[in-house]
Amino acid sequence: MGMLQKAAKILFVSIHFILLSGCWDRVEVNDLTLILGLGIDQTKDGQIKLTAELVTPNAGGGGQTVGGGGGGGGQVQTIVSSGTGTTVADAISDLQERLPRRVFWGHTKVIVFGEKAAKAGIHQHLDFLSRNPKIRLRSNVLVSKGTAKSVLELLPPIEQSSAEVLRELSESELLLQVTVKDILQMLSGDAGAAALPMVKILPPEKGKKELETIAFIQRTAIFKKDKMIGDIDDKLTRGVLWLRNEIKEANVTITLKEEKGNITSTMIRAHTEFIPEYEKGKWKMIVKATSEDDIILNGTKLNLMNPKYTKMIEKELENEVNKRIRDALKKVQKEMKADIFGFADLFHRKHPREWNKVKNRWEEIFPTVEVIVETKAYVRRPGINTAPQGLPEDEVKE
Amino acid sequence: MIEKGKISAIQMGIMIYPTIIATGILLVPAITTRHAKQDMWLSPLWASFIGFLTVYIAVQLNYLYPKKTLIEYSEEILGKFLGKAVGLVFLFYFLQANGIIIREYGEFVVGNFLTNTPLVVVMGSMILVCSFAVRSGVEVIARLAEMIMPVVVILIFVNIILLIPDMEVANMFPIMEKGIMPSLKGAVIPVGWFTEFILIAFLLPYLADRNNGKKWGMISVTAVMLTLSFINIAVLFVLGGVTDRFVYPAISAVRYISIADFLEHIEAIVMALWVAAVFLKVTVFYYALVLGTAQWLNLSDYRPVVFPMGFLLLLFAVWSAPNLMELTHFLGTSSPFFRMSIQTALPLLLLLIAKWRKRTNNPNQVKCQG
Repeated sequence: MGMLQKAAKILFVSIHFILLSGCWDRVEVNDLTLILGLGIDQTKDGQIKLTAELVTPNAGGGGQTVGGGGGGGGQVQTIVSSGTGTTVADAISDLQERLPRRVFWGHTKVIVFGEKAAKAGIHQHLDFLSRNPKIRLRSNVLVSKGTAKSVLELLPPIEQSSAEVLRELSESELLLQVTVKDILQMLSGDAGAAALPMVKILPPEKGKKELETIAFIQRTAIFKKDKMIGDIDDKLTRGVLWLRNEIKEANVTITLKEEKGNITSTMIRAHTEFIPEYEKGKWKMIVKATSEDDIILNGTKLNLMNPKYTKMIEKELENEVNKRIRDALKKVQKEMKADIFGFADLFHRKHPREWNKVKNRWEEIFPTVEVIVETKAYVRRPGINTAPQGLPEDEVKE
Repeated sequence: MIEKGKISAIQMGIMIYPTIIATGILLVPAITTRHAKQDMWLSPLWASFIGFLTVYIAVQLNYLYPKKTLIEYSEEILGKFLGKAVGLVFLFYFLQANGIIIREYGEFVVGNFLTNTPLVVVMGSMILVCSFAVRSGVEVIARLAEMIMPVVVILIFVNIILLIPDMEVANMFPIMEKGIMPSLKGAVIPVGWFTEFILIAFLLPYLADRNNGKKWGMISVTAVMLTLSFINIAVLFVLGGVTDRFVYPAISAVRYISIADFLEHIEAIVMALWVAAVFLKVTVFYYALVLGTAQWLNLSDYRPVVFPMGFLLLLFAVWSAPNLMELTHFLGTSSPFFRMSIQTALPLLLLLIAKWRKRTNNPNQVKCQG
């Protein structure tokens, strides 16, 4: 092998050392700032105001704009920054102008829409969020009472950032949980309606600064097409959860007719079954809700080990759940006329031919759908007490 | 013979499997869903019939001309002039098809991960690596396939399993809402991928155990069909009605994986292994192209044409489409028919002529030719 050939080979190999490191799209972590939460608001003149809760790796001690700092010492500190523009993408560039570091989307956990932005329509914002390959479809989507900025600005005493608080609350699934993927599915589905969890700022405790509090999921925002038309409270939301078969955890308190005092039970398992029926132009939905419960509190004088009482409690629980579902139906189906339960999809799946004939008029038909609610409750255990505690023996009713 | 290596029938099956699915899981689910809606998981089933037919044609031709590849026997079947012309059509097709494959790969990598890297760099580096593999011959490619294929399969199924918590079976219903037609229409797209099985016509002559060639070809078609259906079902269960709104539904679904807030953001691993699968796909196409070219030009070795062909491939990859929209439009409209006519109909025609000539000619004469 000649010298020249040898030299050429060595050169060829050395060129690869430059390429193999794969540094073309390299971004150093200390040039980045991570977006944890994104808030989208609409200003009075129709502009989009975007608020980002940012966390900066290796920020050291400085950089806190609002003073205080979240939680204990030495924790990650977040800053909140805003930008405006005609679209979300515009607003992002505006925001970027004011940041020395490039924003990174991969850790965006929550996306909060301000009430006003939600009412104006959210489809173009969602398009931006799903079109960008760096944003996760798993981010939680919420609506805030008031502006999204006010929610992200808070300095929560428990978690490190407001975004983390909202993510944890979403994932507790006490009320609605919706990800970007879910809202996209709801909006493009047959029903033409969607529901998003709505957050409200908890008033700070006495002696705490104004911002030292959290926002919590308390209501549900109802959307028709991509525009918010109203909201319902947590009680009604639980009824809605039954109707979406998403109920995970709930305590139900009842009173028995012949007895004074309350009994509270907690749900171990719950399931809703839907039977869509179509007969001669009439749409009917049978909703069968089943739950398994444990007693967690007995404020009556009854000894709950007696199976007779169990039956009574089950009956009362069934009535209570039935009432919750009916209340939700009354408000959402009859008043708001928004099919957030996805009945359209259920009818479509079961009776595709008939449904296809009316699919353009679904908005008119939905409020007239007859819903039959059948509830069934099974009380499995009385907890680890037998007779009620804290009562003299002779007052207990066997 | 130019290629002196020998592979087994199993190796051939293993080589061809990632060759079909590598790009079949990218753009195809979205295009299929656009036509077939919630029946899209049925489409690969219908499409696989063309796969079986193509394997059958390739194997039958191989029975007639055991030691020859597609390029060599088309000359023998059609005579010098027509045969060379048909050979050129095949070669040109493989050049263009491989250009499109490389472009799909480049678009995917640049569109999802390396947004600022120039397309040419991404595609060029892939072609460079592939040309090394091609120069090493069919045995090396087969062993690479044996290494990469199991990882790809395991990975696909692990991902499907990780997606189970997010699956919604109801997305599948109503099955065949508008009859069988939508799923058949959707099948037109994967058909293009199943016709690629004609590539075994370049591998069959080098089998050590020729008798098993047909068996493993068919097993490979079945495996591809099942894999594509499984992936489609998984994507449909996760994304439901919005499947066709994503350019790459499979990767969007994988991105959605989150197990206990801990096991998430795993698409980088998927990506790394998927690149390995595409590497095999490009290599097998590249190999067929280079080997065919050498045979068409009556060269004694195919290695000298590898690098020049690589440059041509890069050019074809750049030229194949001005943007992703045109690329997807081409793949979703004319491409299946184009691919079917060259990869299935043309070989079928060759087979029919060959059979007819065998029957009319004196058997001895054929033996002389063959």
